Amino acid sequence: MSPPQTAARARPFRDGLLRLDPPRLLGSHCPACGTTAFPSRTFCPRCRAGDGLVETELGVEGRVHSFTVVRQAPPGVEVPYVLAQVDLPADDVRLMARVVGVAPEEVVLDMPVTLELAPFGTAEDGTVLLGHRFTAAAEVAR
Amino acid sequence: MSLAPAHVAGVGMVRFGRYPAEVTLERMAVGAARSALADAGADLGAVDALHVGHVFGGPVAGQRIAAQLGLDGRPVSNHENYCASGATAVREAWVALAAGLHDVVLVIGVEKMTDRVSGGVRPDPGDLDAAVGYVMAAGHAMSARRYMADHGATREQIAAVAVKNHAHSVHNPYAQYQRPVALHEVLAARPIAEPLGLLDCSPISDGAAAVLLCSPAGLRRLGIEGPVPRVLAVGLVSGAVQTGTGDLNAEDVSHRAGEEAWKLSGVGPADVDLVEMHDCFTIAEIVRMEGLGLVPRGQGAAWTADGRTSLGGRLPVNPSGGLLSRGHPVGATGAAQVCELTWQLRGTAGGRQVEGARTGLAYCKGGTVNGTDGGSVTTVVMAR
Ligand SMILES: [Zn+2]
Repeated sequence: MSPPQTAARARPFRDGLLRLDPPRLLGSHCPACGTTAFPSRTFCPRCRAGDGLVETELGVEGRVHSFTVVRQAPPGVEVPYVLAQVDLPADDVRLMARVVGVAPEEVVLDMPVTLELAPFGTAEDGTVLLGHRFTAAAEVAR
Repeated sequence: MSLAPAHVAGVGMVRFGRYPAEVTLERMAVGAARSALADAGADLGAVDALHVGHVFGGPVAGQRIAAQLGLDGRPVSNHENYCASGATAVREAWVALAAGLHDVVLVIGVEKMTDRVSGGVRPDPGDLDAAVGYVMAAGHAMSARRYMADHGATREQIAAVAVKNHAHSVHNPYAQYQRPVALHEVLAARPIAEPLGLLDCSPISDGAAAVLLCSPAGLRRLGIEGPVPRVLAVGLVSGAVQTGTGDLNAEDVSHRAGEEAWKLSGVGPADVDLVEMHDCFTIAEIVRMEGLGLVPRGQGAAWTADGRTSLGGRLPVNPSGGLLSRGHPVGATGAAQVCELTWQLRGTAGGRQVEGARTGLAYCKGGTVNGTDGGSVTTVVMAR
């Protein structure tokens, strides 16, 4: 467990992208056509409505639609890591994120995964910047 | 709506590859430009304007080139659409000619990458995808894995794109690589982003390509008589914000770019005799050909493995060797594709000539934007 003062000195790495407690991704929901978009937008990408969109918390349960094991990256990026297109069925949203909690060679298509937060860096004032990734759901993780 | 075509008076390239520091961006660009001017039999004094496509060339690269080349003082513009930058510079030259603003426009695509890019290209650091570790190879690797699962394609069929394009570039003196590559070499290459390996990826390259485009008045100014290959139209679209959880390889952006090309040029997909396709990665050639509607959905891998997209096949794709083998100095690629189509339509492409080529299509896709199906896509339609 993190000490309390660490939790107090953490914030999302981007404003409006996620909520820390409980960890939730934030999207925009269009009441006119029912479409949810992530990240949040000021217009509806499907019906093009320009107003009336509301902030919405996305479900935390996902499924790996496709993935890769990145073995080469630009300098300063540690490899290997698993990058995936993760579907959130409850919201009909697809997003790109890293997948952890499972050996790269054991990742499979349609594998269930769950949202978690992870450090994405540190601000100049020492605040931990938190971002999103997914971890293998309990029945897969060993 | 359709604009007048742009006539290709001359083309030139410097061989793509890896050059030492003293071979600067300006030097490569000047070399390609002088080749294109010589090919047209044109003097610098005949050139009304210079359009330069590049990504990593820094501020006013075009004006730096002009000052070395001898086009100082003339209108110079710089065009950045990532890997579609060279083709975008061609597009804006076509528009300027059709509008009557200029009669002779020199287009240069140029990039000096090997001294400033390593480990692969990625999106702008401010893009959300960059924050989660996206590199271009990873996106195409996810595309490939899903394509295999959805269509029953094999890893070997996808690797066949690299084998084919390397076989073609054996005949291209401007290609970075000019030796054949065997299937087992592609499969055994070092993994970059699984399932893709090193030989599924286009290289990081240096190079330049130049095209001299003219109106009919421009051709008269240069004393060129008789027909020359023409750029009929250049489609340009951008990635659209995606919603839902549909087909990862829908390639709607490629479909829309194709529709632009057919609409603007009056040419239909059935008229296309050959394609210069943006094969930055093996799988990309397959899914983009399908998105354009030139290959049936889900059959591109099998078509490649069967030889239907090889020289002598039903629809040759990348007779030049493509990005995989000619090399991929990103801002130069679109101009290099126009050079290749010009040689093909003149019938002077030598050992890589597509027999009877009358109509060609060149496709570029540049960059990525989080949440969309792409950055920038260009479709150049040329006819002899
Ligand atoms: Zn809507």
